[in-house]
Amino acid sequence: MNSKADKKNLTRLLTEIVGGDAVLADDRELVVYECDAYTLQKNLPTVVVLPGSAQEVTAVVRLCAELDLPIIPRGAGTSLSGAVLAVDGGVMIALTRMNRVLAIDPRNRRALVEAGCVNAWITRDAEKHGLFYAPDPSSQTACTIGGNIATNSGGPHTLKNGVTTNHILGYEMVLPDGSTEWLGVEPDGGEEVGGYDLRGAGIGSEGMFGVVTRVLVRLMKSPPAFKTFLGVFDSVDQASQAVSDIIAAGIVPAALEMMDQLITQALEEAYHFGFPLDAGAVLIVELDGLPKGVEQQARRVEEVCRQNNASEVRLARDDAERAALWKCRKRAFGAIGRLSPNYVTQDGVVPRSKLPEIMRFIRSVSDRYELRIPNVFHAGDGNIHPLILYDEREPGQVKRALQAGSDILGKCIELGGSVTGEHGIGAEKIDFMSKQFAKDDLDAMQQLRRVFDPEKRCNPHKMFPGAKRCAEFTQKKQIPA
Amino acid sequence: MTIKPGSISELQELLPQSQRVDEVSLEAVAELIEHVPEDMTATVQAGMSLSEFQSRLAKAGQWLPVDPPHPQAVTIGELLACNLNGPRRFGCGTIRDWVIGMAVVLPDGRLIRNGGKVVKNVAGFDLCRLFVGAKNELGIIVEAAFKLLPLPEAQAHLAKTCKSLGQAEELLEKIWASDLQATVLDMHRIDGDPLTLVVGFAGPSADVEAQSGAANALGFADDASLDYDAGFRQATLNFTSVAPGNLISTLQKLGDEAFVARAGNGVIYHSSAKPVATPSPVLQKRVKEIFDPKGVLPG
Repeated sequence: MNSKADKKNLTRLLTEIVGGDAVLADDRELVVYECDAYTLQKNLPTVVVLPGSAQEVTAVVRLCAELDLPIIPRGAGTSLSGAVLAVDGGVMIALTRMNRVLAIDPRNRRALVEAGCVNAWITRDAEKHGLFYAPDPSSQTACTIGGNIATNSGGPHTLKNGVTTNHILGYEMVLPDGSTEWLGVEPDGGEEVGGYDLRGAGIGSEGMFGVVTRVLVRLMKSPPAFKTFLGVFDSVDQASQAVSDIIAAGIVPAALEMMDQLITQALEEAYHFGFPLDAGAVLIVELDGLPKGVEQQARRVEEVCRQNNASEVRLARDDAERAALWKCRKRAFGAIGRLSPNYVTQDGVVPRSKLPEIMRFIRSVSDRYELRIPNVFHAGDGNIHPLILYDEREPGQVKRALQAGSDILGKCIELGGSVTGEHGIGAEKIDFMSKQFAKDDLDAMQQLRRVFDPEKRCNPHKMFPGAKRCAEFTQKKQIPA
Repeated sequence: MTIKPGSISELQELLPQSQRVDEVSLEAVAELIEHVPEDMTATVQAGMSLSEFQSRLAKAGQWLPVDPPHPQAVTIGELLACNLNGPRRFGCGTIRDWVIGMAVVLPDGRLIRNGGKVVKNVAGFDLCRLFVGAKNELGIIVEAAFKLLPLPEAQAHLAKTCKSLGQAEELLEKIWASDLQATVLDMHRIDGDPLTLVVGFAGPSADVEAQSGAANALGFADDASLDYDAGFRQATLNFTSVAPGNLISTLQKLGDEAFVARAGNGVIYHSSAKPVATPSPVLQKRVKEIFDPKGVLPG
């Protein structure tokens, strides 16, 4: 796809399928699609198509198969790992026009939605039946369910309820050869499906198995009672220990989040929630369930916080305050712009009991590289999000930031953890795969890929070592996540 | 043939040498590798029995929230390979929801690891879920890591006999629409016994007490046993799976046939059930061909 004539021909063929307004081929339009929320690597796709139906997706994918072109499925582009980067050009299939909630089935606690449906819209439509869709990534007001499947997304509330794979019953996928398969539970079917679990195998496959078009999600009954509070601590050490102690006490909160001082200060400045500015760390603990049990567990959590020298344990007064608190938490990355012109986020995971150790390590990395590293993360899952702040205009800072991130992820592996809990490998963390996995482990993953995409044409050059890199590896201004 | 390796490395040697292996006994591969109560995770070899694993976890007040029949006879490997579960499936999900890592010996002798021992992990493709329920047709699971739960502070099971499916349906719908958070929602009619609806609750004692009270008000009697499940399913492995909302209409078609049903999940165990359909036959076949090209394992 190098010559202009080829691109012109491709554009014409795609326009015949989806119409002229759903094909973007001009560089000025394509620039929006040059990266996702991971902005250190950029490249333009050859062309972007915005199909309006599964039939159009199939026709586009078939055309790409005939022309031997890479396809890159894309949702809202909120990935933090370069998952939807068109490394070597290709046809980007953006699902954003296929965004309807098709049906809510309250009796069976299911919803059928199109792949481009925004995560938060499912709960918005299910709420009137007393139901909700549990996984709630911080980008949930923008990210799509198809993208959630690709990355097996998490979020603050996955501690108790699990991640995306635990809540996707089935989905329709157009394979790179243009065939269509429904994987997992059918919209009106039973939850037992014969054969190998292809549904589960495809969740977290980072868009490398095909283009998801429709999704059947599981809905949960909204719990009747909540209790949400802030635990205020002098130090990250004390707060980390409190997290470990809450889990060890046999309590599984709905969410258990930590924010350190740099983050609470930035959030306070941006959103004026009323966070204490002098606290070393703040925990957000949310319990849900039935009223009496929640009450009982709340007392226990408060005790554990006090034992770890919490200076204050503050209960959210009402639903409005609770909602405001979560709104703040989920916009935390957006407030970082106040602290630094650039940042890079990491997504490591450690066993929960190693939280105090990894937090101390992050502090030592911050000192060593002379970079500020605020932290806002899913403490209950052991899923850290150190935000390494840098200024691309200062010589050497980009390199130091990348090295600091690498050191932190290396330590996560050393402590028995993982380099990614919810953001995915994408283009960003390819080099870590051979550190976390042996060659045979990676080969087995490639075997699975062959089942769906023997030609390796779907979202190529991702995840596996040896993949091609973008020629242009730049450091530009961060887009707030 | 059946092979009985003395270690994982012996299994790695034996598998590629074999023409055809019908069964692998992992009696010798049955250690608890690690249980870290403060992480609420554990890693165990596949030959350990589920009941042994549970009793080791219980020492620290934790458990793996699955309850298939005959846990003393079920190994961790079988639990995963056959995706076994029991009445608490409604509240706790299946083993697919709890496995976080795995080691598998592939038919060519390679030992591969997938996932890990942390509760959240999206590095690489998810082979763990592919191997769960694959009946060891793609590889032999030799080790698995799980996330765990604290043992519930209290639990209670209650039962009510019903005169008709209509009456059972009415009760079922009431429970479904209520705030009750049942961990068990079963229905059974076994060998001349009356049609019976079973609910179970687990969690903080105050909640279990309050919910039991609510169930009492609907006519449920305390202290029901869940033994019917193991008893019935010893003889009846077949099941029909329907959307939960189609449970009653499906049961009506069974006539007088005995059954045990996971009413909340729409799974009905009964002897005349036909095997559930396997969709995507082309992909299914490709999976088998790619992971076991020489057909060493069954399937």
